[in-house]
Amino acid sequence: MLFNSLDFAIFLPIVFFVYWAVLNRKLTLQNLFLLTASYVFYGWWDYRFLSLIVLSTLVDFFVGRQLSVATNRAARRFLLIFSLSFNLGLLGFFKYYNFFVDSWIEAWRNLGVEMHASTLSIILPVGISFYTFQTLSYSIDVYRKKIEPTSNIIEFAAFVSFFPQLVAGPIERASHLLPQFSKQREFSSKFAMSGIYLIIWGLFKKVVIADNCAFFVDQIFSNPSAFDSLELFLGAVLFAFQIYGDFSGYSDIAIGVARLFGFSLMVNFSFPYFSRNIAEFWRRWHISLSTWFRDYLYIPLGGSKVGKYTVVRNVLIVFLISGFWHGANWTFIFWGFLHGLFFLPLLLTSTNRNYLSHTRLKSNHILKIVFTFVMVTLAWIFFRADSIAIAFQYITDVFSFNGMSLSCFSKTSKALLFSIIITVSIIVLLGYEFLAVQRDQKEVKLDRFNAVFIILLIVFMGVFKNPSDFIYFQF
Amino acid sequence: MRDFLKKMNFVSISALVLAMMISSFSLWSLRKSAFYKPSFLVNTINETSFDYIILGASTGLTTLNTKTIDSVLGTEGLNLSMDDTGLSSQYLMLQHFLNQGKTTKYCILAPSANAYDHSTNDVSDNDYRFLPFISETYVYDYYKAFSSKQSKVLKYSRWLPMLGVSYYNAELFYPSMITVIKNKKRNRFDDKGNYTYPNLKNSRVVINEPSNLNVSFKNKYVAKIKDLCASNNIELICYFSPVASKSISVNTSLYSIINHSDLIKDEQLFYDDIHVNSNGRQLCSLKFSEVFAKRINKIKNE
Repeated sequence: MLFNSLDFAIFLPIVFFVYWAVLNRKLTLQNLFLLTASYVFYGWWDYRFLSLIVLSTLVDFFVGRQLSVATNRAARRFLLIFSLSFNLGLLGFFKYYNFFVDSWIEAWRNLGVEMHASTLSIILPVGISFYTFQTLSYSIDVYRKKIEPTSNIIEFAAFVSFFPQLVAGPIERASHLLPQFSKQREFSSKFAMSGIYLIIWGLFKKVVIADNCAFFVDQIFSNPSAFDSLELFLGAVLFAFQIYGDFSGYSDIAIGVARLFGFSLMVNFSFPYFSRNIAEFWRRWHISLSTWFRDYLYIPLGGSKVGKYTVVRNVLIVFLISGFWHGANWTFIFWGFLHGLFFLPLLLTSTNRNYLSHTRLKSNHILKIVFTFVMVTLAWIFFRADSIAIAFQYITDVFSFNGMSLSCFSKTSKALLFSIIITVSIIVLLGYEFLAVQRDQKEVKLDRFNAVFIILLIVFMGVFKNPSDFIYFQF
Repeated sequence: MRDFLKKMNFVSISALVLAMMISSFSLWSLRKSAFYKPSFLVNTINETSFDYIILGASTGLTTLNTKTIDSVLGTEGLNLSMDDTGLSSQYLMLQHFLNQGKTTKYCILAPSANAYDHSTNDVSDNDYRFLPFISETYVYDYYKAFSSKQSKVLKYSRWLPMLGVSYYNAELFYPSMITVIKNKKRNRFDDKGNYTYPNLKNSRVVINEPSNLNVSFKNKYVAKIKDLCASNNIELICYFSPVASKSISVNTSLYSIINHSDLIKDEQLFYDDIHVNSNGRQLCSLKFSEVFAKRINKIKNE
């Protein structure tokens, strides 16, 4: 079920009403109901893959229970490895099997050896990268004795499959979300209203920003050679806004929906395009994933408390794997590698921790923000292109300064209209975000008048006829 | 909860009321304009009696130039064709035309040849252009006859105009803003409803050995159009416009036919496989005038 669908618009109020009006203060029933609603939400897409979520839930619940009673270190380690193998095996099979087979064949072909192996026609279950990481964090935290394993299977299953964030995050930690299922939830009008405002803001980002940008992005990236340098550059800029609107829009809606049920999810995006360097960008972009990798990969590798050479290695490993997490394609790996390269100079000059605490934006930050945005945008080209070679050609064409027309944005009345809508909507987006940054807010906070204004923008500027799927569903 | 519902009500009702007001104004502005054909017919065509009208899709729109035909025959014609529409839309356009109290002696039906046999299961791509007239029963009934998402959006816009205006915002809302400023602006057609594709320097079309297409008029809307014409004393003529590399054969005694599907053999007169360019249109219109004149005289003599 898509957040921007009619199905969801009917589903959400029903679940909300039953949850608060019928089951209020009945914690177990509320959790059971949320679990059922989550399975319906997921099964709406493809009920067959519910079995994977159920299996993943049972395995990690079982591992957690066994970890709580196992005293033997070897047994505990075995249980952790079992959980890791199961979850990563699931992810590896469904997401990466064909990639590994193809890459293996290609590697041998490059050495002059023809190999034949069959790939499988595997459907990628929606959200598998998200919920496997979420359940993994539970097993690892229980293993590390950071959290107590739960003995309530309903709470745990509801935590794994919690529908607002099931298919595209934020990737929640058990230590943050799981205890919320055990606590009696009181309805807070203010909290729920903040959720509604966030849903409206998320819809604006998705339906207005992302889906309108898709109009040009799809054209330009499907045949880059037909466009001149300026058009290609703007195509990349629009993709930067498309993916931001798409993914952060989803996160905002997820967080907002969770608030309607009394749950607090972690902030996943914190105005990343106002970052003043790449390190700050990664503290603001997909925060739930970057902190996941920090806690479960970077720190176990030694983090920054090792020699400089090892730190560099660790950083590159994290960025490479982070890229690979996004998809089974070399383009994603290269995208991650590129961000690693962008990050290294900051690491080596010890400036990667600049802007850790909130600092108001000043006029002398503009150049740094623009420079960071351009670097991020160039990296997005690898993320969006069909192959690394195409991405390199794309960037070469951008910097060849071959033609500086804007004809693709104005050649038809429809193109001109989309250009105007996109320009206006990006100005609105950045305007609201700028104010939020200056006020040290973690999210754009609308009041009721602004909410009405944003709804009107959605109604009259949104894409409803040919909406796009959420990009991150494919991850 | 009460406080929450109060705030929710404020946001949703305010947004709904404002969106409805803007949408209603948007449709009103389009209704009073000349931007799309249905409004153009109502607001800028003062004549009530025509010798012929052309109903069709892009083929009818770009093949027959009523100005050329009228200059040759001394007739009064009007082109009511709309691109990306099917026979159902042409039926609706005929109803719309008659509903304005206008009459015509002949109705030249010029959809794409395939449309005659393809059953119509959904509204056409450009049927939203009738939305400003949703209060008319025949328009509402037309949308109601289908069950797709688009038709439901259009149908329910009778009570919730924001549905249609929002869904088709690029096609309805923004053009309506233009019509607020330029009320007489037409969306790519002249004052008689004609449009032409340009003559390109290099033809995109290659004419090969023609394949045969047999038309048997299975689409129920042809019969509906014929019945509506008959009940209003209108003579229906089915016109087949030139198609590159295709020969259309028509075997029927039920309909009066002008088949010019193989009229043009010169690639330079085509814009694409199914549309002629400006020079092609001139040739087609002249040829049509010849045949049409004979039909008129024949009927007069009878």
